[in-house]
Amino acid sequence: MVTLTGREARGEATGRASGKPPSVRGLVLGELRPGRRAGVALAVAVVAMTALPLAAPYLTRAFVDEALAGAGTGRLGLLAVWFLAVAVAGQAARLVTAWLASGLAWDAGNRVRERLTRHALGLDMGYHGRRTPGEMIERVDGDVAALTDFAVAFLLDVVAGVLLLFGMLAVVVTIDPRLGAVLLAYCLLLGYGMVRAQRRTVPSGSRSREASAVLYGHMEERLAAAEDIRANGAGEHTVRSFHRVSSAWYRAERRDAFVGTGVIAGTSVAFAAGTALMLALAAWFASSGALSVGTAVLLLQYTLMVRTPFERLIGRLREYQDALAGAARIGGLLAERPRVTAPPAPVPLPENGPLGVEFQGVGFRYPDEDGSGERVLSDVTFALAPGETLGLVGRTGAGKTTIGRLVLRHYDPVAGSVRVGGADLRDTDPAELHRRLCVVTQDVQILPGSVRDNLTLFRPVSDDAPLAAALTAAGLGEWLERLPRGLDTELAGGQRAGLSAGQAQLLALARAFLARPGVVVLDEASSRLDPATERLVEDGVDRLLAGRTGILIAHRLSSLARVDKVAVVAGGRVVEFGSREELAADPGSRFAGMLRQAEVAW
Amino acid sequence: MVSRVRRVIGGLARFDLRRFVIGGLLWLPVHVIPLAGGLLLQRVLDQISGQREAGLGATLWLCAAFVGVELVRGVVMMTAWTYGVYWWDAAATLVRGNVLRSVLTGREPAAARLPDSSGEAVSRLRDDVSGVVDTTDEFVNLAGALLFGVAAVWIMMSIDPVVTVVLVLPMLVIAVLSRLMQGLIRRLHGRARELGGAVTGFVGDVFTGVLAIKAAGAEGAAVERLREHNRRRRDAAVKDRLATDMLDTATGATVEISIGLMLLLSAAAMRRGDFTVGDLALFTLYLSWLTELPRAVGTLLARLPQAAVATERLRRLLSADEDVAGLTRTPGVWFHREPPEPAPAPDGDRLELLEVEGLTARPGNDPLADGGVTDAGLTVPRGSFTVVTGAVGAGKTTLVRALLGLVPATGTIRWNGRPVGEPGLFMVPGRVSYAGQVPRLFSATLRENLLLGAEDGGRVDRALERAVLERDLAEMPDGLETVIGTRGLRLSGGQAQRAAVARALARDPQLLVVDDVSSALDVATEELLWERIARATRDGSGPAALLVVSHRPAVLRRADRIVVLDRGRVVGSGPLDELLGSCPEMRRLWDGHGTLDAGPRTDAGHRA
Repeated sequence: MVTLTGREARGEATGRASGKPPSVRGLVLGELRPGRRAGVALAVAVVAMTALPLAAPYLTRAFVDEALAGAGTGRLGLLAVWFLAVAVAGQAARLVTAWLASGLAWDAGNRVRERLTRHALGLDMGYHGRRTPGEMIERVDGDVAALTDFAVAFLLDVVAGVLLLFGMLAVVVTIDPRLGAVLLAYCLLLGYGMVRAQRRTVPSGSRSREASAVLYGHMEERLAAAEDIRANGAGEHTVRSFHRVSSAWYRAERRDAFVGTGVIAGTSVAFAAGTALMLALAAWFASSGALSVGTAVLLLQYTLMVRTPFERLIGRLREYQDALAGAARIGGLLAERPRVTAPPAPVPLPENGPLGVEFQGVGFRYPDEDGSGERVLSDVTFALAPGETLGLVGRTGAGKTTIGRLVLRHYDPVAGSVRVGGADLRDTDPAELHRRLCVVTQDVQILPGSVRDNLTLFRPVSDDAPLAAALTAAGLGEWLERLPRGLDTELAGGQRAGLSAGQAQLLALARAFLARPGVVVLDEASSRLDPATERLVEDGVDRLLAGRTGILIAHRLSSLARVDKVAVVAGGRVVEFGSREELAADPGSRFAGMLRQAEVAW
Repeated sequence: MVSRVRRVIGGLARFDLRRFVIGGLLWLPVHVIPLAGGLLLQRVLDQISGQREAGLGATLWLCAAFVGVELVRGVVMMTAWTYGVYWWDAAATLVRGNVLRSVLTGREPAAARLPDSSGEAVSRLRDDVSGVVDTTDEFVNLAGALLFGVAAVWIMMSIDPVVTVVLVLPMLVIAVLSRLMQGLIRRLHGRARELGGAVTGFVGDVFTGVLAIKAAGAEGAAVERLREHNRRRRDAAVKDRLATDMLDTATGATVEISIGLMLLLSAAAMRRGDFTVGDLALFTLYLSWLTELPRAVGTLLARLPQAAVATERLRRLLSADEDVAGLTRTPGVWFHREPPEPAPAPDGDRLELLEVEGLTARPGNDPLADGGVTDAGLTVPRGSFTVVTGAVGAGKTTLVRALLGLVPATGTIRWNGRPVGEPGLFMVPGRVSYAGQVPRLFSATLRENLLLGAEDGGRVDRALERAVLERDLAEMPDGLETVIGTRGLRLSGGQAQRAAVARALARDPQLLVVDDVSSALDVATEELLWERIARATRDGSGPAALLVVSHRPAVLRRADRIVVLDRGRVVGSGPLDELLGSCPEMRRLWDGHGTLDAGPRTDAGHRA
């Protein structure tokens, strides 16, 4: 099942890569379209929620006219009961529409979320290196939610509102074309006026939002710097500057409140004018006997009903822009192509056993947004036989980590080639590469979930034995035995998850054991562990490297005791490469110089 | 907790009682004026139906009066709202200012009360403060709705008491119903948010651990797991939405049911002509306004517990020795004039000897967190250059923060032999100043960033020169008036760190405390910086003593005395030569400099 979904994901990625670029908006909106049956149900519900409220005033009209004409109480009671039924059914129809629409929107939104996640997971590490998880949450959840929320609101307020207004106009036209014409003219004028007024509020509204952004930004900066401020005795001064910024915020809010309530008050007056206009016309027509009193009541009810859809329609205009921007960002992510791609006919890696690693004249610079960037590796050449272990030493920034990233094919080199198991990495399938190559980093990510999830990374497993074996191999066997619910014990997630730094390291080793890779890239932890845990980690690393090709990014000279080869990296070049023993024995080598300085003996 | 929220709401209503009362009185007509609109419509329809004799002209005048009434209401609303904005903003500013003052000057260390992220703290000062102020404001709405309700029911009673009594019943039903559903809605809402949090949390974890997932080939499994989270959240979210909509629908349906009931009950009276078409219109109009009352009651009842939670969260930001009344204490709000100048920092309290004994502290509230210090001691005599060193996570930063009273700590600190009671209030300018490891500068001019309200008098130039910023300054477009910080011109990491040192120097402290500045400074610049500061210390024009966290060999060589920390304990102290002989950890650290992270990081722009 796992492999199936994995292949599906790859198939999708390559399929789209070879096809024409998708229309961004069509792609996103296509996902939002409901299925046929759901669509029909929704359409019926929307029609019901607009038609029923239109019908109810008809019944009051009949009631009033018949009551004045002296109809029987039974007949009037029947009309009243009908009114009750129709009105309540109208409310129920609105409820059902909202329920259907929100269910459909969530289904569609979740489809988009899953698709975005699958797509983003297929992108290369170069892409992820430039994005924080927070940004990805915003793309995968925030933008999608904005879009689906808008879709529901659009249906309930815009579509239903427009239908209601048209229905109302149609009804009034059939009653009296002159009244219909006046109502149409009034609605057009009102709509125009409200849109204009809404625009008037935009500048003062954005000034007010800007002022609050400044205020909250000001507070955020000061709270983040609370210790600097306290220790430098600037507390009172900071409170004073807060009051100044608050004063500017108040002035912006006051101005916005004036404009904002002005628009609200103006709208209310405009609606009152509409009601008064219809009633005045009704009075005029009624005085000549051309219109019944019941119709006057109907017109009154209709003009009172116009208000809500109008206000909702106008209110959605602003959100429309935001939703479109969200859709464009989602589309942008879907249009993103991995820089590291699989060739049409990938060269397979050997299925088992350690793999050799070879760098030939490798040059590299990190891809910046504009395609340039400082060169971080130049002419790196070395070869590692299967099963050998290489120690990379050098200052921070010398290029050790970058060499590790190129082995894992997070990036392709800009010059030369990297070969693993005899194959140029550019000719291999990234997914297969990830299975045969493994990295253990300093900052171990513990996911919230059970110990089992943290080992398998959510893949279903039929047998727990390999998991227990991997934990034992990593030195966590005793820890596992002490866990109250064994592999099902929940870890809290986050940076530490209730594990010590050492235990987190060991868990990362256990993941590596489970993967059974041919090459291990190990970024040694630079923080200091207590001696007992440090020994556990070292033993675990020794077991992991046995029978595998290893590349160790060393932060301590003493860790190099286990390596076969040493590469000294400086300024993006391998300035010295050779067998550890030979380099250590050669008094003229840089490596021997480091050992002398550190007085490390082995 | 309830009595606490009552005290805060009372405090907010009282701090500017005049404006609160006037604002409230201005707002009441906004609720009451629609009564007149209803009465006018009643007459218009009665005249149309002929149940009241009048000419067409009189009816048209009444229509015009209906518009006029709405116009009056609009003007009152604008006046009341614009006037009320002052009270609202002043109340929010009062609470925020009090919290900020307490965080920045209160007795208890800020680290013990601030949440982990400053974003979280800001959201409390934004949302929780809004919640509490809105709740107070809501009482005005309730009063208005109540006043309208009483008057409307009185008018309706005078028309037809029986129908009125029957119509008020559905209102009571929705009041009770919404009260009952509030609990359910809150529960459903909480569940939907929790499951929503699970989804965003999972997405965040997946992309933080993207490398591990790719390495395990677990992309499909991760999406599958996301699908499970999504499904659970969908069901909860749809239920949440349905419950909220049901309450709205219930309110809307009540109005419709009431109108239907009214038609049913008034059928006989209408035929007789006792209940006119105008009465029908008036009842219809008043009924939809009357739902405002149960809604206002419901809102307030829902807001009060939320306000209690918000009050509690805000109180936790105050120092432990302050009570909840501290939130609404009135040192004033300055919207129309300049806030008063703070008192200048006291003159320096000449340092002869600083002694620290048995200092134990944990950063944050987690007792298991790395980087704590246990039973640490050190002495800093006048004129000395003391360096604290140790491996990553050894507790160096915690030691100086505890010394400055920035984290809760136990132990003894003596300044010239006198025990220091509250280090957070004592270890400040003019005695001590501090430059932290992560420099925090503000979006303001460089001058403002360095002075932070202090008098200049040549301090800035002196501090800039000693912090080796004079050449950088010459290249800035507006010199000292250049706006720097998050939204202004971005300083480089090294410039920001030197600016933080300059800021501390500009306080003219007796003791200058500097946490590791080497992370973004090259060796030569850092050397020059210490050379200049140490010279100022020697010639008496600078700090009387220096306490510096560092692991750079050049700084260690310069030190008179070194304090070596290992996993939170002091494992050696004395001059470098002596320690290299006697302290294995010092030797280990010193040797490590051959290959370890001694240079500035250049790889920082690319995350792993």
